Amino acid sequence: MWERVRDWLAQRRQKLDLFDETLVARQDNPLYLMGPMLYYFWLVTVVTGVILMLWYEPTTTGAYTSIERIQNDIGRLALTFLGRPVTLGGLTRGLHKYGADALITITFLRIYRMYFLAEYKKPGELSWMLAFLGLILGMVSGITGYLLIWNQRAFWAAKVVLTVPVYFDELPLIGPLKFGSMIAFLFLGGPAVGQATITRFYALHFGISLVLLILVEVFFQRTRRKRINMSLFPLALFMVMLVVISIILPAESGRRADPTKTPLPILSDWYFLALYQYVKYTPPLWAGLGPGLLIGFGLIVPFLDRSKGRRPLERPFFTVVGALAVIYFLAFTALILFNIAVIERDPFLIMNITLVVLALGLFWELQYRRRRRQAAAAGISPPARAPAHG
Amino acid sequence: MSTPSPELMQRRKFLKLVTTLPALAAAAALVSPLLRFLKPNVEKFKIYAPTVQDAARGEVIAVATLKEVANPWDYKYFVFTQKYPQYTPEGFKAANVPGVVIKLPYKIALFDPATGQGPLRWARDIGKTPKVTESDLIIFSRICPHLGCIYNFVPNFKEVTAGYGGYLPPPPRQHALMACPCHLSIYDPADPQVPGRVLSGPAPRPPRTFLYEIQGENIIATDVEPGGIA
Repeated sequence: MWERVRDWLAQRRQKLDLFDETLVARQDNPLYLMGPMLYYFWLVTVVTGVILMLWYEPTTTGAYTSIERIQNDIGRLALTFLGRPVTLGGLTRGLHKYGADALITITFLRIYRMYFLAEYKKPGELSWMLAFLGLILGMVSGITGYLLIWNQRAFWAAKVVLTVPVYFDELPLIGPLKFGSMIAFLFLGGPAVGQATITRFYALHFGISLVLLILVEVFFQRTRRKRINMSLFPLALFMVMLVVISIILPAESGRRADPTKTPLPILSDWYFLALYQYVKYTPPLWAGLGPGLLIGFGLIVPFLDRSKGRRPLERPFFTVVGALAVIYFLAFTALILFNIAVIERDPFLIMNITLVVLALGLFWELQYRRRRRQAAAAGISPPARAPAHG
Repeated sequence: MSTPSPELMQRRKFLKLVTTLPALAAAAALVSPLLRFLKPNVEKFKIYAPTVQDAARGEVIAVATLKEVANPWDYKYFVFTQKYPQYTPEGFKAANVPGVVIKLPYKIALFDPATGQGPLRWARDIGKTPKVTESDLIIFSRICPHLGCIYNFVPNFKEVTAGYGGYLPPPPRQHALMACPCHLSIYDPADPQVPGRVLSGPAPRPPRTFLYEIQGENIIATDVEPGGIA
């Protein structure tokens, strides 16, 4: 048993491809340049983050003010844009924010690409699982970093996200041990959002990137792969884009956190919006269990999908599941932006639509498999499978 | 080199097992110190009840005078201060619990001393007895029992319909309501059976309440129902 697991791991590790280095034949296709882009934006974010640490003050009283100073005063340049002074601090913060946004966007798109092209199939299981974990750690990095601004949006996002685990105390068997509350208190540094929360979030925000960067460096050293397998021109272009958008749309600070007033409506970072809408619809225990199950599904999907083909239409059920995920992500985001949520009507509708679509997907899958069996029986050979990547 | 005989393999497996067990035991022995490093108020080896020491202590405060909430649907916001354990060198944090005093149009039962039932029955869990058992005054903690945002007392139910997701209350409940900006939970403060009843939204329970007493002209809040994150 143990030997089999080890062999399995050894095989996958040989084919491990965290940054799409082995897809060099597709250099003309931006879909396949997302690996190097991921690494590039990650580096931009880490470097600017370290620069920001020189001026940032991780205290409840000083955080917001220090961010305002970084944005408006630190390193003033001799030019203005629309009456606002352009500062090196503001540029660094803009690069950090938009670099991180780009990083999350790329990670999302790359996950969808890997899903719809079935890159998670053998021997890509481990690559897929690591990419998926990367997305989750990126989102954790996002929410921990967001609190550091100590504005209204960040404060309430942190409080809401860390109240969710408290409901795990309602679970049978493990609930009465109070591990749900413990998880929340560990992250918050106590049963309330305060100084300890900023300190811990600050440590996590930096720690996640630091640890991952070391691990990835070990990976590069061992496999002798190129770090950024991309020509110089697009990299320079991305940097110019980041600088331009940091000047045109400076990163916002919002209002200073006020623990006695929640604004209406209250939003979060864009990639959490869909989740926010989902939380409105479900009982609070499911606000934690739902995303947990989704993460669990994402991690084990290589083992669930036993279909033979790699193309989307050769595995209809999983394509339908993926398409549903994309559509819900976009639709929920749109709903929350327009502040629409009729809690009596929507969850019932959504539940039914989901069930019907999943049933249709299953039906399609069965139909497809039957047609293939009939074709095989009639002696028509199926088209040759696309070779595995790597 | 000849291949090792089956017995030899058996012996190697046995030795591996013998060395693994102490290593695992050593790792397990680190769980409690590690937890206590992250959460210094856990007692030694108490990994099964890690949150016992996290109780908050409130400070008694006069929240309003009777004149300020004389007429039905009068309300007053106030802020109650509680001290929480916090894992910093200071060791505690004073956190604000916003609350609201509401004058209801009719009296409701808050606590039945005979059966121990009623909205304030949680008082016995912290070893207290409610001084006021029936009243048209009720005090809620404004921390939403769902995920901890601060909800609002909305004097006009039409504002709830317009701003909080389009919920229209049925005619008997078309009066002042309480509504949360984060996930649109809506509460009825004047429900005679369950004050703060959840009318709409994901909240699992009514908002937490305060124990209070009346001293002369003042309404004094003494304790807030424990639970949730401040």
